[in-house]
Amino acid sequence: MDYQKLAKKIVQRATKKGAHQAEAFLEVSRQSNVRVREGQIEDLTQSTSKGVGLRVVVKGRLGFAFTSDFEPSGLELLVDQALKLAEAAAPSKLNGLPGAKELGRYGDTGDLYDPAVANLPGDWKVKAALEMEKAGRAEDSRVTTFNAVGAGDFVSEVYVASSEGMAGGYSGTYVYLYALPVAAADGQLQKGYWLDYKRFLADLDSPESIGREATRRAVRMLGAKRVKTQQVPVLFDPLVTASFMSGVARAASGNAVHQQASMLASLQGKRLASEHVTLVDNGLLSRGLATAPFDGEGVPTRRTPIIDRGVMSNFLYDAFTARKAKARPTGNAKRGYNALPTIGTSNLYLEAGTTPPEQLIREVDRGFYVTSLLGHGANPVTGELSAGANGLWIENGELTHAVQEVTVAGNVLKMLQDMDGVGNDLQFRGGTVGAPTVRFRQLTLSGE
Amino acid sequence: MPRASAPTRRAPSSQLAPLAARRPSPVPLLPQPLLERLLAVAMERGGDFAEVYVERTHSTSVVLEESRIKSAQTGLVQGVGVRVISGGKVGYAFSDDWDEPALLRAASTAAMIAQGQGSERAFPVSRVAVPSHYRVPTPLSDVEVSLKASLLTRADQAARAFDSRVTQVNGAYADQTRRLAVANTEGRYTEDTQDLCRISVQVVVQGKKNERRTGMYGGGGRVPFTHWATFPPEEVAREAARQAVATLGAVDCAAGPQTVVLAPGWSGILLHEAVGHGLEADFIRKGTSLFAGKLGEKVASELVTVIDDGTVASGRGSINIDDEGTPGERKVLIENGVLKGYLYDSLNAKLMGQRSTGSGRRESFRHLPIPRMTNTFLAPGNHHPDDILKEVKRGLYCATFGGGQVDISNGNFVFEVSEAYQIEDGKLGRPVKNAILIGVGPEALKNVSRVGCDPQPDPGMGVCGKNGQSMPVGVGLPTLRIDNVTVGGTQVG
Repeated sequence: MDYQKLAKKIVQRATKKGAHQAEAFLEVSRQSNVRVREGQIEDLTQSTSKGVGLRVVVKGRLGFAFTSDFEPSGLELLVDQALKLAEAAAPSKLNGLPGAKELGRYGDTGDLYDPAVANLPGDWKVKAALEMEKAGRAEDSRVTTFNAVGAGDFVSEVYVASSEGMAGGYSGTYVYLYALPVAAADGQLQKGYWLDYKRFLADLDSPESIGREATRRAVRMLGAKRVKTQQVPVLFDPLVTASFMSGVARAASGNAVHQQASMLASLQGKRLASEHVTLVDNGLLSRGLATAPFDGEGVPTRRTPIIDRGVMSNFLYDAFTARKAKARPTGNAKRGYNALPTIGTSNLYLEAGTTPPEQLIREVDRGFYVTSLLGHGANPVTGELSAGANGLWIENGELTHAVQEVTVAGNVLKMLQDMDGVGNDLQFRGGTVGAPTVRFRQLTLSGE
Repeated sequence: MPRASAPTRRAPSSQLAPLAARRPSPVPLLPQPLLERLLAVAMERGGDFAEVYVERTHSTSVVLEESRIKSAQTGLVQGVGVRVISGGKVGYAFSDDWDEPALLRAASTAAMIAQGQGSERAFPVSRVAVPSHYRVPTPLSDVEVSLKASLLTRADQAARAFDSRVTQVNGAYADQTRRLAVANTEGRYTEDTQDLCRISVQVVVQGKKNERRTGMYGGGGRVPFTHWATFPPEEVAREAARQAVATLGAVDCAAGPQTVVLAPGWSGILLHEAVGHGLEADFIRKGTSLFAGKLGEKVASELVTVIDDGTVASGRGSINIDDEGTPGERKVLIENGVLKGYLYDSLNAKLMGQRSTGSGRRESFRHLPIPRMTNTFLAPGNHHPDDILKEVKRGLYCATFGGGQVDISNGNFVFEVSEAYQIEDGKLGRPVKNAILIGVGPEALKNVSRVGCDPQPDPGMGVCGKNGQSMPVGVGLPTLRIDNVTVGGTQVG
C-alpha cells in the first residue's frame, strides 16, 4: 500500500467533510524479538503494526482521533470522530497546524535505514542471544540465572501529510541486544543489566561483550550493604547521569516554562552550572536513535542547546506552545499515531568533558559512585530529587565495596551548580539520552 | 521496571455504584468458527497449546490546561494475538489487520515455534460464562465527550477557588471500553468487557519567596459514568490543592532511620513494591526474586497479611477474567507473616506444576501475558489510627505518596512521599519536603509494629509498569507503623 498517498487521502477526506485544517500522522512497523533461556529459545515474537492519527481544526476548535483499522469504513469513522470532537471543543485562536513558515526545509539526517537490519535473519537473533547468555555465564560462575536475555529488530515507517502543505515520510531501522543476569552469593541476589540499541548493525556491540559486561555489573554488587548517613562527593555513571539529565530536559519543556510550572522558568540566560556543562537536544545527530528529518507535526528538527557552557539557553517547543509563548518551534513535537504531539526530547546528551572517569574517581577521598537509581526522579516544578541508590563506595580514590539501601537527595539546580567534573566517556546506552560520568561536590546520602 | 505511579489518598466511593442490570452481550468480536480455524492453524506444526486473544479497545482522553480544554481525543485499537507453546517455548504473533488472511498468517507465524509435522486436528471451543465484578450498563465509550470535559472544567474551578495561591491546574480524564475474547486449545472460550475510567488533577501553588509546591490527586475504577456524581471532580481538585498548600513552608527532611506512620489508602503501594512484584511467578521460576523458595517461611511481622484480590467490586485492578481467560481470584499471599503463595499466569503455573491464579495479564494484543497483581491489600489490624500516632515520640507521618519502585533481586524498594509531617510527642508537627522511604522488602515488613483497624482502598488511579507493559492496579492499606525505616532526605545530624 502507498501509505504516503493514504495519509494524503485521509487529509483530503477530512477537509472535504468540513475541516479547515487537517493532518494525518501514520505509522507502520514490523518487529521481531527472541528471548533465550538455558541454551534454548524461550519465546519468539513477530508482528506488524500500523495506525493513523488525524488532527483537525474547525473554526479554531481542535479534534483528534486515531485508529488501527485501515478499512474504508474504519477511516471514514476516524474522520467523523475527529470532526465530532472538534465540534465539542472550545475554540482557541492558538489552535492551528504548522504552516509554511514553520514547516520549512529539513536538515541533513544522514542515513536512518540499514538494509542489514531490515533483512536480519531470525537465526542471527537466536544465535546472538545464545552467545550473550553463554558469555554472561562464562564471565563469572556466581551468575545463577537471568531475568531475560534477548535480541530483536524493529523497522518503522512514518508518514505525515497536512492541508498546510506538509507531505513527508521516512523509514528507519533499529536492532538491539540485552542481558539481565542475576548473581547470587551468601544469600544475596543482585541483578545486572547491559544492553545496546542501534540503528545500524555495524554500530552494535558484540553479543559477547554485552553478556560479559552485564555479568560484571551484577557480580560487583554482591555483598552490598548500607553505609552511614553523611554528606559526600557523589558520582553518577553514564546511565544514571542520562536519567538525571532527562529530568532537567523535562523542566525545559516550553509548556512547563510558559505555565511557570518548571524549576527553569525565569532562568533563561542565567548561569546554572560551570562552563563544562552543555546539554543538547539534537534531532539531527548522525546515526542517533531519535534522528528524523521532521518532528511529529512536520517541523524540521535541529540542534538546540538547552544548557550552553553552563548557561540556560533554550527551551523546547512544539508549534502550539511556540505560538503561545511567542517563541520559535524547535522541532520537539513528539508523538505516536495514537496521541496528539507533546513536547519531548529527540537525541538528548550532556556533552563529554575531558577527564577520564577513572580520574574523577581517583580525586575522591571518600564518596559514592552511583550505578542505578530507584524512583521517578526529580520533581520538575520544585527541582527536588530524592531517590534510592545502588552503587560502589569510594575510599582513597578507589572503588571498594558495593552499597545498597541508601538514598541520595538534593535539589537539581543546586546539583547542577555543584557538578565539578564531567567525564570524557559520553555514551548512548540503549536509549535516546546520552551522558558521560559526572561528579557532584556533595550530596546527602541517607543510610544507617 | 516495576513501578506504580500517580498519587492519592482517601476513600473512593466505587462501592456506591448502582447495581444496574448487566448490558446484553454484544456480537462476538470474532466468529467462533474463525477462532477455531485459527487454533487449528496455530497447532498445525504440533504445539502443546495454542491460544487466540482478540481485543478491541475504544479510548477517550481529555486534557485541561490553563483553565481550558486543551484537547480531547478518541481512538480505536484492535488486534489479535496468537500464542503457541511447544515444550516450554513460546511463539507469539499478532496482527492489527482483521481480515482473515492476515489472521491466518499470524497463526502460522506463531505455529513455527513447534517443529512437528503437519496436523489437521480440529480444536473446538465452547463459551464459558464468567463472573461479574463490575457493572457498567452504559459503556464509557458511549458517553458524550463534552460530559467528560465538563468534569475537568469543574475541577479547575474548584481548585482555583480553594486557595488564591493556586497558580496552575492541570486535569486529565481518561477512559476505555476494552472488549476481549480468549479461546484456547483446552476448549475454553471466554469474553469480557472491561470499562475503566480515571480523573487526575495536578495543582501548583506559589507561596512566599517564589516557593512552589505541587499536589496531585485522582481516582476512578471500573465504574459507570454516574460514579462522578458520588465522587465529584471538585473533591478531587480540592484534595490536590490541599496537598500543595499544606506543604508550603515545608522544611528539609532529616536523613536516616526513623519510625514512620503511613496514612491509609494509596500507601498500599508499599505492599505492591515491597512484596507484590517479588511474588510474581516468572521471577520465582527463574530464581531472580529474593522470595523464591521461601514458601512457608516467615517473611514479615505476624501482624502482616497480604491479599491480592481481582474480585473487588468495581476495583481498578479487578478482572472478571485475566488476559488468558482465567477468572480473577482472591489470593492470600502472606498470612500472619508467613509466605503462602505466588501469583501465577498459566505458562509459569504449568512449568512449575501449579494452577493459574488468574494473574496472567497483558497491556494489549501486542504483548505476551505475564504474572501481574490486581488489587493488593493489607488486612486490617486492631490498632486505632489515633493511638498509633499517639505512641510515636519522634518520627515521620507520611500522608500522601508519589509512586514507588522495586529491584526484585536485592529487594530494595523505594516509596516516594509527597506530603509528610514530623511527629513530635505523638502529634503532627511541621511539613517536610523531598522525603522518600527505602528498604528491603522482608526486612521492612518484619519491622511493621502496628496495623490500624481502618482498611482503605486507594481511590483508583494506580498504574503499574513491568517489562514495558502498563496495567491498571489497585492497592490498599490501613494506617501502619513501621520502625527503623531509612528515610531519604537532605538534612544530616
